[in-house]
Amino acid sequence: MNVTDIAFWIFAAIAVVSGWRVFCTDSMVRASFLLMLSFIAVGLIMVLLNAPYLGIATVFMMAVEMMVMALFMVMYMMNPAGLNPMMMVHQHRFSIAAGVFVFAALTGLIVVTRFSSNPVAPDAEVVVGLGKELLGDSMLIFETAGVTLLATMVASVILSSRSGRFGEADTGAVPPPLEPGGEPAGRQPEQASGHAHHHH
Amino acid sequence: MTLIALTVAWVAFLLGMAWYIAVLDGLWAAAREGRAPRAPLANPLYRCATILRQQSNLTEAPDLLNWRLAPALYAGLAGTGVALVPFSSASVLADLEVGIVWWGAVEALTVVVVFLHGWSANSQLGLIGAYRYVAIGLPVMLISMFVLIAAALPAESLAVPKIIESQRELWNVIRQPLGLPLFLLLGLSLSFRGPFNYADSADIAGGTAAEVSGAPRLVWEFARLAMLTAVATVAASVFLGGYLGPWLPGPVWLVLKTTAVLLVSVGLSHQLARISPSRMMTLIWTVLLPLSFLHLVWAGVLAL
Repeated sequence: MNVTDIAFWIFAAIAVVSGWRVFCTDSMVRASFLLMLSFIAVGLIMVLLNAPYLGIATVFMMAVEMMVMALFMVMYMMNPAGLNPMMMVHQHRFSIAAGVFVFAALTGLIVVTRFSSNPVAPDAEVVVGLGKELLGDSMLIFETAGVTLLATMVASVILSSRSGRFGEADTGAVPPPLEPGGEPAGRQPEQASGHAHHHH
Repeated sequence: MTLIALTVAWVAFLLGMAWYIAVLDGLWAAAREGRAPRAPLANPLYRCATILRQQSNLTEAPDLLNWRLAPALYAGLAGTGVALVPFSSASVLADLEVGIVWWGAVEALTVVVVFLHGWSANSQLGLIGAYRYVAIGLPVMLISMFVLIAAALPAESLAVPKIIESQRELWNVIRQPLGLPLFLLLGLSLSFRGPFNYADSADIAGGTAAEVSGAPRLVWEFARLAMLTAVATVAASVFLGGYLGPWLPGPVWLVLKTTAVLLVSVGLSHQLARISPSRMMTLIWTVLLPLSFLHLVWAGVLAL
């Protein structure tokens, strides 16, 4: 057992244990960063497999992604900071069944598949090769996927940010009435047409 | 042997530069207040002793694991950043083929760690600092990504030693003039100083560090200085040719260039005013990010 093997088992243990803890913790922020830790361990395993760019890019992407995810989850939920305990798992029966099924299917695939034993030469220029592949033969696929994902993100932010807690975002915020069916609470705007400019 | 020597040099470099920044900060503060500095060289050490004599504060129901880990992780991230940089053509602690991608990961993880530091204290002001920091820290990180990709173009490599070697004829600071100024802003943001101090500023009573005292406080303050050192070292290597230079040996050049970059960074952090976070967001997304796009296009056309 050499250093690489020991490192692999340590990273593998971190990935599995932190991935499991995601479902035991009671906070959205903690769940996000436990998931990040799990992905970082997987990224480091990819570095051990002589894929340095993909491995470290995974670390970097996951750090940004989980940070943004934690922030957005807290923003869209009523739990003000993610420090209040809350139940992080839902649909117990369905998710247990789905988890067992997916685990069995993936494990079955590992057992059935014959993995090729084709070690990469230590002096192979893997990063250069990856760059040529990404910006050569596969460029159309990656660029199409990238632009589609970006459009999806922009569209989802536009759709989700329109309807707010106090009504549609583009009509201006109107607080709820103090009694059911009454006038909106608070100071009334002088013009109801949405123009907030006052000229005196 | 070389590994041990390099590790010792790495630790000495981090500690020495942190002390140097603290001395500069003291001198600058004294000059601004128009008084003579008192024991400027020993003052950082007195401050260390003062902080260490304090009790470690505890808030009500903090996330103690993350709260105690965050300062150490922050210092560790700064350390890995410095380890990427070669002291001379043959001596680099972490000779990574994808060095600047790891530097990108250091920037991203720094945002996570600073957020966790403010969040886990379970205190209002820390939380405000944490949220403000993420809002500003993430787009500033994007700027530095474009700047670093531009620096990798002439070298045709993501490794820091190769980027330095590509500057034998002409330093990147001349070839890509926008790079260094934009990267200096990253330094102020990653160590939250001056105009980019949205995490730990006085208007929120210390922000993410508002509730921290004793040994964790010392680690946190050292980590901020170490992170500025890491940014300055990377800047000196990526834009100012690192260890390259006539007459003097390589490590001396690296130290000279790093101290110069640090002097400018500390100056900027004391001279520039901080604007409100929402205005800074507008400035970053409408002015600084488009500038970094332009910079990348310029560098790309030049590299062709």
